[in-house]
Amino acid sequence: MEHILSILIFFPAVAALMAFIVDKDSIRVYGITVAAIEFVLSAYMWYMFDGNNAGMQFTEFMPIIAQYGISYNVGIDGISLFLIIMTTFMTMISLIGLTEKRDLKNLIITVLFLEMTMVGVFVALDAMIFYVFWELSLVPMLYIVGAWGGNLRIYASIKFFLYTFLGSLVMLVGMLYLAYVYSQTTGAWSFNLMDWNMLILPFDMQMWLFIAFFAGFAIKVPMVPFHTWLPYAHGQAPTIGSVILAAVLLKMGTYGFIRFSLPLFPDASVAMMIPMGVLALIAIIYTAMVAYAQEDMKQVIAYSSVSHMGVIILGIFALNVEGIGGSLFLMISHGIVSGALFMLVGVIYDRRHTKMMSEFGGLAAVMPMYAVVFGIMLMASVGLPLTIGFVGEFLSLLGFFAVSPILTVAAGMTIILGAVYMLVLYKKTFFGPITNPINKKLEDIKGREVAALVPLVMLVVYLGVYPKPILDPVNNSVKQLVQVMHIKAITPEAKEKIASVNTIGEAK
Amino acid sequence: MEGFLYTALFAPLVGSLIAALFGNSPKKLFVGLITSGLLATAMIASLILLMHVFSTEHTIHVTMMDWIVIGNVNIPFGFVVDQVSVVMMVVVTIVSTMVHIHSIGYMDHDKGFNRFFSYLSAFVFSMMILVMSDNFAGLFIGWEGVGLCSWLLIGFWYHKEDKEVVDDMYNSPYSTLSPHSSISPGYAANEAFIMNRVADLGMLVGIFLIFWNIGSLQYDVVFAEIGNLGHGLIVAIAIFLFIGAMGKSAQFPFNAWLANAMEGPTPVSALIHAATMVTAGVYLVIRANEIFVVVPEVGYFIASLGAFVAIGAATMALVATNMKKIIAYSTLSQLGYMFVAAGLGAYWVALFHLATHAFFKSVLFLGAGNVMHAMNDEINIKKMGGLKKYMPHTALIMTVASVALAGIYPLAGFFSKDLILEVAFGSHAYILWLVLWITAGLTAFYSFRLVMYVFHGKENWSHDKEDDNYQHPHETYPFVIAAMAPLAILAVSAGWMEHSFVEMVTKVLPVLDIHVSTGTFWALVAVTSAIALSGIAFAVYKFNKDGQYYGEKMKDTFVYRLLANQYYIPYLMERVIIKPYLEMSKVSWKEVDLKIIDTFVDSVAKTIYNMGQGSRAMQTGNLSKALKWMTLGVVILLLAAAAAGNLK
Repeated sequence: MEHILSILIFFPAVAALMAFIVDKDSIRVYGITVAAIEFVLSAYMWYMFDGNNAGMQFTEFMPIIAQYGISYNVGIDGISLFLIIMTTFMTMISLIGLTEKRDLKNLIITVLFLEMTMVGVFVALDAMIFYVFWELSLVPMLYIVGAWGGNLRIYASIKFFLYTFLGSLVMLVGMLYLAYVYSQTTGAWSFNLMDWNMLILPFDMQMWLFIAFFAGFAIKVPMVPFHTWLPYAHGQAPTIGSVILAAVLLKMGTYGFIRFSLPLFPDASVAMMIPMGVLALIAIIYTAMVAYAQEDMKQVIAYSSVSHMGVIILGIFALNVEGIGGSLFLMISHGIVSGALFMLVGVIYDRRHTKMMSEFGGLAAVMPMYAVVFGIMLMASVGLPLTIGFVGEFLSLLGFFAVSPILTVAAGMTIILGAVYMLVLYKKTFFGPITNPINKKLEDIKGREVAALVPLVMLVVYLGVYPKPILDPVNNSVKQLVQVMHIKAITPEAKEKIASVNTIGEAK
Repeated sequence: MEGFLYTALFAPLVGSLIAALFGNSPKKLFVGLITSGLLATAMIASLILLMHVFSTEHTIHVTMMDWIVIGNVNIPFGFVVDQVSVVMMVVVTIVSTMVHIHSIGYMDHDKGFNRFFSYLSAFVFSMMILVMSDNFAGLFIGWEGVGLCSWLLIGFWYHKEDKEVVDDMYNSPYSTLSPHSSISPGYAANEAFIMNRVADLGMLVGIFLIFWNIGSLQYDVVFAEIGNLGHGLIVAIAIFLFIGAMGKSAQFPFNAWLANAMEGPTPVSALIHAATMVTAGVYLVIRANEIFVVVPEVGYFIASLGAFVAIGAATMALVATNMKKIIAYSTLSQLGYMFVAAGLGAYWVALFHLATHAFFKSVLFLGAGNVMHAMNDEINIKKMGGLKKYMPHTALIMTVASVALAGIYPLAGFFSKDLILEVAFGSHAYILWLVLWITAGLTAFYSFRLVMYVFHGKENWSHDKEDDNYQHPHETYPFVIAAMAPLAILAVSAGWMEHSFVEMVTKVLPVLDIHVSTGTFWALVAVTSAIALSGIAFAVYKFNKDGQYYGEKMKDTFVYRLLANQYYIPYLMERVIIKPYLEMSKVSWKEVDLKIIDTFVDSVAKTIYNMGQGSRAMQTGNLSKALKWMTLGVVILLLAAAAAGNLK
C-alpha cells in the first residue's frame, strides 16, 4: 500500500464524481458506504503506521512544476495521523446521522468532495498542495451553508468564505516569500516543507512570516477577535455542516500552527509564546462568557468551540511535548465531542424546528436516552476525568504552566466557566417541569441517530480511560518537533527557553 | 490480596453498570438487591484488607495500567492500600452498604428506583478511586467522579420547578426556615458542581506545581522529594491543594452548596453529604500530611478556618427548622473540627473523627429520612412532634446518634471530639480551643432541639384526613431499621477501638506531639463534657417548659434573621457573583461581540463593497468616458514615475 495516502485523498473525490450517476434513492447508502470504506482505509493506514518512527511515513513524491519546486508531496507522522482518522471517522458518522431531506444527492456529493480537501490538508507536505486543499475546502462548505442553511445562509456563507479567504491570501503571500527566500539561499525554488525545514531564517524575517501565516491560521481556528464568522456559520449551517466545521475544519488552523509556524519560525514562536497565550486566554474566558449569554443551544456550542480552541492554542504555544501533545489530543477529542454536541442539537431541531433553550425544559423525562447521551457529551466537554475531554485539556494547561503559571491559572477558568454555560444549558433544556405541552410528545433518539451517537459515546469513554493509542505516536513525533525547534533556533534565549519549558524543576 | 483490592474497587462499578442497564425501566427490586450485594462484597473485601494490613503491617500497592504517558508525564492507574486508605475504604463501604439497603426501602415508590442505585454505586466506585489511588492524578479522577455523582444525585428529582426567591423568611429558598431546601434540585446540583470546580482549579494548580518541580505525581516520590523544594514553593503547593479540599469539604467560602445539596434524596445526604464525599478534603490533607507538616503556618490557617466554619455552621443550625439543613450544618461544623485537628498536625485524630462522624452522622441522616418518609416529605421540624410513639426504633437510633454527635461518654463522638479539643489545647491554640468548646455546647443543643421537636411534645400535625396537616406517621420497614442498626452500633462503639486504631495508622501518620498533664487532661474532659451535657439539658428543659425555643420577639431580631438567612451568603452570592456575571456575559455578547468586533468586520466588508459600488460609475461602457479615465490614469502614472525619479 505505497499509495495509501493518495487513495485516501482521491477515493472520496472519485466516488463523489461517480455519485452523479447513482440513483437518488440509494445515494444515502452509497454515501455511507464510501465514507465507511474511506474510514476503513484510514484505519488500515493506522495499522500499517510505525508508531516508533517519528518521521514522515507513506511519503509520495511527484514533481508538478519542477522549475518552481512545486510537487505533489504527501506523507504523515504522529501529528497528522489521528487528525486524518478523526476526519474520516467524523465524516462517516455525520453521514450516518444525516437527516436532511432536501436535495440529498447533492449534499452527499458535496460532503465527499469536502472529505477529499480535508484529508488533503492533513497529508500535504508541499506548501502549494497544502494551500490548494486549504482553499478548496472552502467551496464545499460554502455550498453546504449557502444551500442547505437557515434564513441568513447567504450572509453567513459569504462571510465565512471571504473572511477565511482573506486570511489565507496573506498566508499565501508568506508562502511565496518563503519560497523566494529559499531560492535566494539555495539557488533553486522549492515549496517542499521538508526543504523549508532546513532553512535558518533571521529573526525579523521569522516574525514577519509568522504574522503572515498567523493571518491564515488564526482566522481559521478562529482566535478572538477573528472569530465572528463562526457563530453565523454554525447558526445557519445544517447539522452536518456544523459537525464537520467544528470537528475538522477548525483543526486545520491549529494543525497549521504545529506543522508550519513552530518548526519554520522557532525563534518567532518563542517570542510569541506570551502574546499567543494572552490571545488564547482572552478567547477562553471571553467566549465562555459569550456562550453563557446565548439563548440558542447551537450558539452555546459554537462559542464553546472557540473557547476550547483557545485551550488548544495555549497548549501549542507551551512549546513543550506535554503542551503540544495535549493540544493534539484535544483537537481529536474536541472533534468528537463538539461533533456529537452539534448532532445532538440537530436531533432536537429535527423534532421541534427550534434551538431556543426557552422552548424546552424537562426533556430528561420524555427523552431519557437523549438526556443521557447529552449528559455524557456535556461531561466530556467540561473535561471530566476518564472522558476524552480531560486528557487534552489537562496536558495543554499543564504544558503552559511551565511557560507562565499566572496565565495558566487564568486560563484554567475554562474548567469553571465551561461548566457554567454547559450545566446551565442542560438545566434549562432537560431539568424542571415540562412547560411546553408540545414537548410532552417528543420521541427519544432512535435508529440512525443512535447508530451515529453510540460510537461517539464509546470513543469518549474508551479514549478517556485509555488514551495511550493516540498519545504514543503523538509523543514520538512531537518530541522530534521540539528537538527540531531547539536545533533550529538561532538566538540562545530561544534555545534556552525551549529547553527550560521541557525540563522538570525549571518552572517558576 | 490484590484480588481483594480489585474486588473492593470494582464491585461497586459492576453494580452501577448493571443498574444502569435498567435505568429507564420501571422499578426492579433485584437492582437494589444486586447493587447492595456487590457493595457488601466490597465491604467484606475491605474488611479483609483491613485485617491484613492491621495484622501484617504490609501495604498493598498495585499498578494496573498506564493512563497518561507523554513527554515527562507518566501517570498510571495505581492503587495503594495502606493504613490510611484502608480505614477510608472500610468506612466508605460500611456506610454505603447500609445506605444502599436503606434506600431499597426509602426509594420504594420512586419511579427512578433503578437509576438511583446506578448513581449511588457509581458514587461509591468514584470514592474508592479517590481514596485508593497512589497518585494525585488518580485522586483527581475520583475527586471529579464523586462531583459528577453528587451532581446526578442532588439533581435526582430534576423535574421539580424553580422556586421564586421571595423576601418572606418562611418561604424563601435562601432561608433555613422555609420548606424549600434551595431554588430547585437542578439548581442545587449545578451550584454544587460549579462551586466545586472553582476549588478544583486550585487543586489542579497544586498538581501542576508538584509536577513541574518534582516530575512525578506518585505519592511516594512526591513525599520523598518534597523536602528538597524551597519553603515558599511548598507553601504554595499546600495552599493550592487545600483550596481543592475546601471545595469538596464545603469550607468557607465554598460552603453554600452543601446546605442546598439537601435537595437530593435523604440517603444521598447520608452517604455523600455527610459520611464520605465531604470528608474527601480532610482525607486529602491527611494523605498529603508530608507536605502540610513542613509548612505549619498553612496548617494553622487550616485549623483557624476549620474553627471558624465549626462555629459559623453551628450557629446557623441553631435556628433552622429545615430538618435536613440542621443536620447538614452539623456536618459542616464537624468538618471544621476535623480540619482543626488536621491543621494542627494531629492527622490521625482527624482521621479518627472522620470515621466516627461517618457512622453517627450517616445514621442520623437515615433516621431523618425515615421521619420524612413517614411524614410525606415534610421537612419542617415544627410540623412534626410526638413521633416517638409512632416510630420508636427511629427515635431511639436518632437519639443515640445525637448523643454520639454531642460527644457524651462513652459514645463514639466523645473519644474523637474530645481528642480534637485536647489537641487544640495542647498545641496552645487556646482561642481555637475556646471556639470549639463553645461549638460543642451549641452542637449538643441544636441536636437535641431537633430530637425534641420531632419525637417529643405535642403533635403538630393532624389525624384528620380533611386537614391540610394530615399525616399518617408509621415506622419504616424492619429491614431498613436493620440496615441502620450496624451504623448505630458503630456510633456507640467506634470510639472503643481507639487504641488499635492509633497503633495502626501511626505507622504512616505522625504520632501526636502534644503535652498535656494528667490533671489538665481530666479538667479538659470535664469542662467539655459539662458544656455538652448542659447543651442537651437546656434543650430538653426549655422544650418541656415552653414547647419552643425562640419567642416571637426574638424572631424579629437581626441576629435571628441573619442566622435564618444563612448569614445572607446566598443573597451575597447572587448579587455579587451570579447576577454580575450574567450581566457581563450579556454585555460581552450583545455589545462587544455583536456591536464592536462584528460591526468592525462587517464595516470593512461594506467599505470595500461601497468602493466597488462607487467606482462602478466608471464602467459605463461609453468609449469616450473610458478614454478620459485612461488619460487620467496615464497622467497619474507619469507623475508618479517623475516623482520617483526625482526622489532618486
